[in-house]
Amino acid sequence: MNVIFLLITASTVVAVLFLAAFTWAVRSGQFDDDRSPSVRILGDARPVKPIESSSNSTTNPNA
Amino acid sequence: MCINRLMFVRSALVTDFDFCHVKRVTIPLLTCYHCGDTCRDEHLRFDEKDFCCQGCRAVYGLLQESGLCDYYELAEKPGVKEERDTSELRPELFEIAEVRDKLVEYSEDGITRVTLSVPQMHCSSCIWLLENLQRVEPAIIRSRVRFSEKELSITFREDRLSLRALVELLRRIGYPPLLNTDRDKKARRGPGVPRILYVKLGIAAFAFGNIMLFSFPEYLGADDSDHLLLKGFQYLSLVFSLPVLLFSSTDFFTSAWAGIRTRQVNIDQPIALGIVALFARSAADVILDIGPGYFDSLAGLVFFLLVGRWYQAYTYQALSFDRDLSDFLPLVVIRKKGEVEEAVGVGDLAEGDRIVVRDQELVPVDSVLREGIGNIDNSFITGEPLPVRRAVGDTVRAGGRQRGAAIELEVLRPFQQSHLKRLWEEHAGTSAQRRPAMPRMIDAVAQRFTIAVLLISAAAGIYWAGKDAAMVWPVVTAVLIVACPCALALSMPFAYGHTMRLLGKHGVFLRDAEVVERMARVDAVVYDKTGTLTAREAYEMRFVGVPLTPDEEQRVRSLARNSAHPLSAVLYNGIKAEVSDAIEVEEVAGMGVSGVVRGLALRIGSATYTQGERVELVPGEAQVHVAIGGMHRGYFVVRKRARSGMSSAIAGMKGMASTHLLTGDSNVDAEVAAAFGEATMRVGCTPPDKSAYVADLQKEGHRVMMVGDGLNDAGALAQSDVGMTVSESSAALTPASDAILDARSLGHLPKALWLTRKARTIVKMSLGLSLMYNVTGVSFAVAGKLTPLIAAILMPLSSVTVVGFVTLATTWAALRAWRSDRNMTKVS
Repeated sequence: MNVIFLLITASTVVAVLFLAAFTWAVRSGQFDDDRSPSVRILGDARPVKPIESSSNSTTNPNA
Repeated sequence: MCINRLMFVRSALVTDFDFCHVKRVTIPLLTCYHCGDTCRDEHLRFDEKDFCCQGCRAVYGLLQESGLCDYYELAEKPGVKEERDTSELRPELFEIAEVRDKLVEYSEDGITRVTLSVPQMHCSSCIWLLENLQRVEPAIIRSRVRFSEKELSITFREDRLSLRALVELLRRIGYPPLLNTDRDKKARRGPGVPRILYVKLGIAAFAFGNIMLFSFPEYLGADDSDHLLLKGFQYLSLVFSLPVLLFSSTDFFTSAWAGIRTRQVNIDQPIALGIVALFARSAADVILDIGPGYFDSLAGLVFFLLVGRWYQAYTYQALSFDRDLSDFLPLVVIRKKGEVEEAVGVGDLAEGDRIVVRDQELVPVDSVLREGIGNIDNSFITGEPLPVRRAVGDTVRAGGRQRGAAIELEVLRPFQQSHLKRLWEEHAGTSAQRRPAMPRMIDAVAQRFTIAVLLISAAAGIYWAGKDAAMVWPVVTAVLIVACPCALALSMPFAYGHTMRLLGKHGVFLRDAEVVERMARVDAVVYDKTGTLTAREAYEMRFVGVPLTPDEEQRVRSLARNSAHPLSAVLYNGIKAEVSDAIEVEEVAGMGVSGVVRGLALRIGSATYTQGERVELVPGEAQVHVAIGGMHRGYFVVRKRARSGMSSAIAGMKGMASTHLLTGDSNVDAEVAAAFGEATMRVGCTPPDKSAYVADLQKEGHRVMMVGDGLNDAGALAQSDVGMTVSESSAALTPASDAILDARSLGHLPKALWLTRKARTIVKMSLGLSLMYNVTGVSFAVAGKLTPLIAAILMPLSSVTVVGFVTLATTWAALRAWRSDRNMTKVS
């Protein structure tokens, strides 16, 4: 039976840690803007293209 | 992909053009690759893409050079057309030390960080482009967007790129920053979700989940052999519910207390009572070893209530509804001292100062024209539809916008005494706060509800006191617990919040959820004409006189291109023809322009200039006379065009609200009059007339919605129950209001009104639903049979069903409103 107490203590500690992490995340402003971070990861895959090669349109599927 | 961009649209300028030989034809129009507008006046082809103007093409070229074409893939037609009207910006202002100091957050070793307000950002592409500015300009180190506040924070090497150059770059790509140096950064941190609410919500969710888990053995029927374990769980639940009581639910206590102090019953009082009862009863049960307590219900209740609060905060619009006079006027003006031009604050201007006002800029103070030709557009202040001429020596009032070349003015009165400032203080400085609060439906319900709960618990207590005194405490607390109006409190934020979101999708933006309810009760709609029903910048024209041949029209257009006068621009845009070069062009101030096009001398301008007969001017219309080869041929009549959707905005109100038209003009165009039919029209209204008219309607017992646009409507907007401003772009100037209507959505207004009414009905229905749950719960409670398990089921069940019901019902209502519209357009 004692193992249950151990389990509960452990799980509660983990839960409290997560709560603390969440509180830290909120306070550090991670929930302030839920729009731009989702866009931030897009389009970064391509390296910055030097201006000279702009006529080369292979990297531009629209052209 | 290209096929998608080919849109077959009716040419926007073909109506009423029979007189000037523009044929009624339907021609396929291309949409601009950059901004998505139809290419009407100009069409440029570049890199196998279509553009509507040089500005759009230039931005595309810039982005393409920098390898930023992803911009066009993240969202459809993301670009912002460079609108002259909205570009209040003068980059040189950013060179002024005071301005710079207010914007710069950090500056060391040539590296500077500034935060700019960029209201033009609106989609994923905007964010992406603005965060990749370093690819356009290597001197930029890092740029970060805060979308909810429409702010852009840029770190750059100021030794290589001045702040002014940075601002000019932003302007060039279509995102001119606003100069709002006056505002306190903290106060500006939007009405969005406060951080603390997330923490409260997180703690409530944490407690809810864990306590529910701890309660499972109890519900699943653990026997007494596990007594120690169960007891341990109960105390753990008690500990976990403490932060819920003491931290997460503080808002409800403060609100309830505020209500008590002002002797008002509000919905938070029974909630606070329920929370306290829940905790007291549960703690007593656990400590006295009577039962497991209702901690899971407590945590669940607070969690659901906070979700409601979060949703309410989340649905607030990121638009600014309260405007300050300083939002309208340039904060800094160019003062001329001898030959030296310097920038000074508007408030520092003194009588006799010389100031320079350039094209598209507002005149900040009452002043006298000293140099140049004033071509003042007063539409924002007075609602006058067309710009008026001002010659040297004339007085120009503050708030007018110069269109044309730069003018020099002498300050007549300092800013504090100017006409505009007085007008503003009389009418427009008021926001909805001054408006007498319309009693909210939820408060009326809460009042009866609270009284009923107190009576029932007292009655139950008295009944049990006579029968079994030991049952008084459990029964009374059980009644207070189960009668807690959680679902009731959730129904309004969710129903109205969701309605706001749905309306926002269709171009109607409301200040807050309360406006939905006020709008639902509107039974009279008052429209302003100029700028509201008629467009601000779109004109229509017809020719009176000997008809011009297409060849002659082409010459007129060619000459008109060489003139800076706004009416010339109207002619240039209104005539469809190729342009050829005009030579010997001479513009005579206040008269017109002359020149030779393909060997033929032309004059366009006033009647005297073209040696034509003076024709009586109809107010609201302007004339451009034309003489070809020395012969007066007639004149173009130019007037503002009615917005599309005007007739449905009026006709659709039938059966819902009476419609009224107020205008500052002395007559009403036939088109507008026809659309209004028998409705009440009032012409020649001054701003005080307008607010008096609204007040009279209110005295007759009507609830009035005023739809207007300019400062001349501000008084009426503030007086009305719902003030709605019509706006063509997010950066346009609108007075304080409860709601902002996208000009393109004017025809949707009746549907929006219908939807708010439906939303109110839905709230009423959901109140019935949640009351049913309360009655069920209370019947358990008075019988003394409310076990923790029943409470734990009833509480979340009622909240989830009510929220689900209102969300689905409002979505369905919106679908119905906008589907019926599609059918209607098909029929007509």
